[in-house]
Amino acid sequence: MRRDGVRLMVIDRTAQSIRHARLAELGSFLCPGDLLVVNRSRTIPAAVAARRGEGDIVQLRLCVRHAEEWHVLCVNPDPPHANVALHVGERLRVAGTETAVRGRRADLPLLWRIDALRDGIERMLRSGEPIRYSYVPEPVPLSHYETVYANEPGSAETPSAGRSLSWELLLDLHRQGVGLSDILLHTGLSSLQDDAADAEHPLFEEWFAVSPNAAEAVNRAPRVIAVGTTVVRALETAAGHDGQASAMEGWTRLRLGPGSPLRVVDGLLTGFHEPQASHFDLLRAFLDEPLLDRAYREAIAERYLWHEFGDLCLIL
Amino acid sequence: MGELGTARLGGKVALITGASRGLGQALAMAFAREGAALALCARGASALDEVARAVVELGGEVLAVSADLRSSRDLERLVALTLDRFHRVDILVNNASELGPTPLPYLADYPPAAFEDVLKVNLVTPFRLTQAVIGGMLLRNHGVVINVTSDAAVTGYPGWGAYAVSKAALEGLTRTWSAELAGTGLRMYAVDPGDMDTDMHRAAIPDADPSELARPDDVAHAFIQLVTSAEPALAGQRVEAAALDR
Repeated sequence: MRRDGVRLMVIDRTAQSIRHARLAELGSFLCPGDLLVVNRSRTIPAAVAARRGEGDIVQLRLCVRHAEEWHVLCVNPDPPHANVALHVGERLRVAGTETAVRGRRADLPLLWRIDALRDGIERMLRSGEPIRYSYVPEPVPLSHYETVYANEPGSAETPSAGRSLSWELLLDLHRQGVGLSDILLHTGLSSLQDDAADAEHPLFEEWFAVSPNAAEAVNRAPRVIAVGTTVVRALETAAGHDGQASAMEGWTRLRLGPGSPLRVVDGLLTGFHEPQASHFDLLRAFLDEPLLDRAYREAIAERYLWHEFGDLCLIL
Repeated sequence: MGELGTARLGGKVALITGASRGLGQALAMAFAREGAALALCARGASALDEVARAVVELGGEVLAVSADLRSSRDLERLVALTLDRFHRVDILVNNASELGPTPLPYLADYPPAAFEDVLKVNLVTPFRLTQAVIGGMLLRNHGVVINVTSDAAVTGYPGWGAYAVSKAALEGLTRTWSAELAGTGLRMYAVDPGDMDTDMHRAAIPDADPSELARPDDVAHAFIQLVTSAEPALAGQRVEAAALDR
């Protein structure tokens, strides 16, 4: 199946209407002057095997990558990948080198703080595998997870709303007068492999960058459509109270939810994810509860496909 | 440095495959002299490291990645490390080539596995590498891709079987991709460097007279000309280096 062969649910907030289309028809819902903003972060193989002192193998899932310290989930390498407790001070053999466990994160105790791996990105690229959840039963090559515009590496999981966009579609939109800009936000983990913890909508910092060119394009565009919630997070972090985006880079801890003001983003192209995911919280910044509820009921009734290889939803 | 004493590729990032010897090595040095930051790739680490050291001695910035690009993991590692270090690729030179078995066998005698391997190195890898970096180029609406070809692509020389086929297909890839890039700020070219005094040429034609062959350093100059002009009229075309350097 082509990347852009997925379905598209179109939610018009003004008309309170829901329509069903194909992603290839995206252009018919956009106008000349609209600006699509994508996340150019490249997915890395962020799951890596680690050998404990007694010889047991665990899987580390990289979530946050600070210069000196990584925050990782430690799970059983076999499905259903239950969390495994480490010991403070324990040494782990990972990708041909050693690291030490510093302790748990105080705010998210399922995440372990470990010494950053020396040449860490290179080691992950040599030894890691893409993070895969139970709804993807067989290993999938990393290239299937990447967006067609993936650039700098750093995302633990694919900024998946853009995964279905093809250059054929993007260049068609360009010819139609729809602008294209990009930000960078390196994603962390979407699940801590613990239902109770996931239900709390864990929030951790993510590295982002909005360039001067992107800020200018956003401020000039009459309508800004974010491709994915990561783009909303980056742009709204860079947005001032005056409704203008500024060039900015750093760690974002912005939490968006019901009632959050959207200062620069006007629309959203996104996938379908479980209602308990934090993704759903962010949708509530765009949609009131009745319309969100209606959209998800229709998605289920119309058998839309969920998760990162699934169908998409355009909120205007 | 450039002709006017200014680095014409200052601030640009070039990714060059097959950079440890021959034309790739010459291109690395020429691009470095013009101020480009370099990501260099070759299978063998020691020869590549020597080239990287020479680039550093020139004052250049370089990332050397030893990788076998037939492996998708190695290819992704090269691209990701390059983008992690430099954040972008402005110029991609798909230079790495495999000649195939020597002495050059007739197609009727060609080992099928060797045929497939040559196509993988000379055609499939440039396709995959270009696909892996072109997204960033399209976001910036700027970039140059050069696929190194050969006159064997257009002339039937006995014995040059898989190599010739791979280069003919590489030129087809260049034409089609270029048509798809029409209207963007990207340019793709197939450049034929001509007969050069290189290890590959010696392996193919051991009795060739070196004095009649071009030096890779001289040919590299033509590549600089093309990259700095990014001549739209030539996009998608097969370009002979000798014609560019006049």
